[in-house]
Amino acid sequence: MSVLGFLSPSRCEPGTITSPLRHALGRVGWSAYLGDPEQVRDLSLEGIVEIRGDLDRVSTLEGEELVRLSPRRGFLFTAGDAPDVAERVRAEGVLAYDASGALAGMAIANEAVMPRLTDLDLSQVPTAGPFARVWALFRRGEDGEYLIYVQQELGHYVAEAVLDALAGLEGWA
Amino acid sequence: MFSSSGTRVSGFRGDTIGSALYASGQRIFSRSFKYHRPRGLYCCAGHCPNCLMTVDGVPNVRVCVEPVREGAVVEAQNVWGSLDRDLLSITDRIGGPFTPVGFYYRTMIRPRRLWPLYEKALRNLAGLGRVAEDGAPHGRYDVEHRRARVLVIGGGRSGRAAALAAATLGPGVVLVDEDARLGATELEGVDVLAPACALGVWEGNLVPVDAGHVLYRFRAERIVVATGALDQPLLFPGNDLVGVLLPNACRRLVSDFAVKPGDRAVVVAADDDALEVADDLREAGVVVPRVVDIRQAQPRELAAEGRKGRVKRLLVDGEAVDCDLVVASAGRQPSYSLLAQAGARVEYDAARGVFVPTDLPAGIEAVGSVTGEGCSSIALPAQAGKAKCFVCVCEDVTTKDVSRAIAEGFDSIELAKRYTTVTMGPCQGKLCQLASIRLYAQTTGTGEAALGTTTARPPWTPVELGLLAGRHFEPARRTSIHFRHEEEGAKIMWAGPWKRPYAYGETPEDEVRAVHESLGVIDVSTLGKLLVEGPEAAELLERLYPNRFSDLKPGRIRYGVLTSDGGRIMDDGTIARLTDDLYYVTTTSTGADSVTAWFEWWNAVWGYEAEIVNVTGALAAVNLAGPRAREALERLTEDDLSAEAFRYLDARRIEVAGVPCLALRIGFVGELGYELHFPSPAGEHLWDRLVEEGARPFGLEPQRVLRLEKAHIIVGQDTDSESNLLSAGMPWLPKMDKEDFVGKLALEHFAEREEREKLVGFVMEENTLPAEGAQVVIEGFPAGRVTSARRSEAVGSVIGLVWVPPDRAEDGTRFEIRVDRRLVGARVTSGSFFDPAGERMRS
Repeated sequence: MSVLGFLSPSRCEPGTITSPLRHALGRVGWSAYLGDPEQVRDLSLEGIVEIRGDLDRVSTLEGEELVRLSPRRGFLFTAGDAPDVAERVRAEGVLAYDASGALAGMAIANEAVMPRLTDLDLSQVPTAGPFARVWALFRRGEDGEYLIYVQQELGHYVAEAVLDALAGLEGWA
Repeated sequence: MFSSSGTRVSGFRGDTIGSALYASGQRIFSRSFKYHRPRGLYCCAGHCPNCLMTVDGVPNVRVCVEPVREGAVVEAQNVWGSLDRDLLSITDRIGGPFTPVGFYYRTMIRPRRLWPLYEKALRNLAGLGRVAEDGAPHGRYDVEHRRARVLVIGGGRSGRAAALAAATLGPGVVLVDEDARLGATELEGVDVLAPACALGVWEGNLVPVDAGHVLYRFRAERIVVATGALDQPLLFPGNDLVGVLLPNACRRLVSDFAVKPGDRAVVVAADDDALEVADDLREAGVVVPRVVDIRQAQPRELAAEGRKGRVKRLLVDGEAVDCDLVVASAGRQPSYSLLAQAGARVEYDAARGVFVPTDLPAGIEAVGSVTGEGCSSIALPAQAGKAKCFVCVCEDVTTKDVSRAIAEGFDSIELAKRYTTVTMGPCQGKLCQLASIRLYAQTTGTGEAALGTTTARPPWTPVELGLLAGRHFEPARRTSIHFRHEEEGAKIMWAGPWKRPYAYGETPEDEVRAVHESLGVIDVSTLGKLLVEGPEAAELLERLYPNRFSDLKPGRIRYGVLTSDGGRIMDDGTIARLTDDLYYVTTTSTGADSVTAWFEWWNAVWGYEAEIVNVTGALAAVNLAGPRAREALERLTEDDLSAEAFRYLDARRIEVAGVPCLALRIGFVGELGYELHFPSPAGEHLWDRLVEEGARPFGLEPQRVLRLEKAHIIVGQDTDSESNLLSAGMPWLPKMDKEDFVGKLALEHFAEREEREKLVGFVMEENTLPAEGAQVVIEGFPAGRVTSARRSEAVGSVIGLVWVPPDRAEDGTRFEIRVDRRLVGARVTSGSFFDPAGERMRS
């Protein structure tokens, strides 16, 4: 095991890991409640690498997106194996950590729900800021949906807040 | 159809509840705030309090602007009896002498102990509607954040024109208006939001808009205020009688709702627009025997008389004109409040007799009547009469009240506002600001310009508290194992921002016993976890902590306590060195964010080449503790866990049940233990496997008993903002020979001066459990406090930690603790209560 292998969900044996959102999004009845269960999709466990150092040194491959939070801190979203990507990036002269288990992610297709949960100017995505009163990272998906990432320990709460806001738009009390 | 006080009432589409009730013949809509005088429709614009009723359980609904809806239940409020026969109207007949302005400041202050009774009586006798006893919200409230290039407030002619003009320059134009009918209006390129009301203007062009059950928080690049002008009431005796209306109220009833407001009307007004209402009334079939243009007539005597609260005649300079409707207005005043809130100046225009906004701030514009265009107003000479003359119908403030306030010395308009409460009612000065300033000017001989206005403050219109509160958000942190705890029946409690198991059964003692005798497992994922990495990571930690970390060997762990630069204890945890350049730091469960910020702040000051990464959420952690810990864990890993290969205070990377873990051999609960840190997503899997191996889950409460048996402190519970390492019994921890560390100077000072108190352990002399925070009493005087106390089955006593004077900190010293109003003896015990040599956790 590498020094930081204990950070990596992908180094766990198959069948041992689960999403932090499975209880919120898997709750019986929510899909009927929302009409379209695809309004919120679980993105947790995607490959994410937190990078510290000079981000200009970091090269990205196809399927990767580097979201810069500051000149020396960013998140690299990758379709590849996060610890391998972290190792590759470290070789470029920065520090990199597998953050795949640190963030819960969800794709929100219903654009109307966003202003109920954040006051950010969403024309500026990718960005970071408040979402349902906690810190979140915002991206846009290929189909225009919003990709929201929050600390995994807040994932269940945020997912419930999103579902509740969607219910509000649908006219549920 | 809807019901009003049990009577079925019909309405038409487009009606308001108020117009439908008026058409059905109802004239009294409410009883006044203080005197319980009958009140009827007055402004028909949602400004005054005269039509406040309870609709479908929601109090204080302005029914004159509330759209009619099928099945609504409308009820009177602030009434004992009925609207027609309100028993509390006795306060109007005989209460006057006892309830002058500010009476509650003077007449109900003695004896002071009776104030709760007075308060209860006042609250029952005066006020508005009642909030539901169960406190349940009236439906769902949401907050929505929006952005606009141009936000137009007010949908009159000027507002619509401004919105359309702005829309020709691009998208992002929003028009907000109170009138529900505007919601159906198509304005090309304009997003119309109606019925909706702008509540105020804040810095950064933030405008909250009340749209019923959604509060829109607009950020606008430019704001156009087109709020128009407001009819101003005339001050004359009887001016609040039912049947006295403002001109535009009449116009709305006739034009908008096709309702005939009365049979015989007198119009008394000060501007052409208001006087034209006479024509509208005649067209509606109302007889108008007299029209008084007060600009020319300047009547010396004007008074309304009535019966049972309803107007019957108007006296004009000795002439009595029978009527059931008086349309009275002193003119129109620009509705400038939102502009004033935005920072505009408000000046008195003596020529027109109105206050007008000037010097608009950047990004704010005004159009239409709100600028003063077409507005003018004049005052009547002071009118004598027996009947009450109201300056403020919201708060039942009369001209006599204002005169009295002036006589008592409240001679500025701001002071008068606070003393008389004029302008503080639901209308927020829309109808009483100008009138009260005029009255002050007349009475004191000071000009209106010199008096100025009161400060304009939001909200501009009444708003439901539920809407201001919005949707309830309660960010709760849950570990990745949280739902296993729920499934296992744990009682969940808040622990800082986290939801954690208190215990899994009714008796936490069973869980304590399991840890001592066999095997227990606790979810400690809430611990703060930081990686500190870089060639100068050791130097950074060496200066942050009072103890030494540069000599810590890779693979070893050391306890650390963080102190502030004032030498006070901030946080504690363990520091494991993983490689020469990489440390793994744990903090308290509530300390992760503050410790991260603390590290980053100091590192920014010192500039060490080291990165601090908060991995709290990335990692789950469990503590497997008990005599069977090693054998249970050995069945789940191929790594060597023998006491020789994996010593106490070792940190090893091992794989457990297919999960890569950082295993720390530490023992907060005093038994052989392994703290496993591993990827959060594997939390449930690893937990399940450990439970399958016989580990009994234990919660926070058993953990508190176990750590207390070892006399391990909890920072924040056993320490406070004044505690330092010396007084807290850890003089061995700081290495004063280090060149520098945060808090060193302060600790040197602490070492030089006499200590004031010390943290020690104690054992109660009897099986009585003191409360945490209980007082220590020595020779009859308070001398300290208990910070932790629990019954320990293993020790066989009640044990705890306590702050006592240094001269009482010796082992065996007796002192007393106040428990349930009596004093119970206790003795100081130094060191751990259980397994003092630490053999069990080192085994």
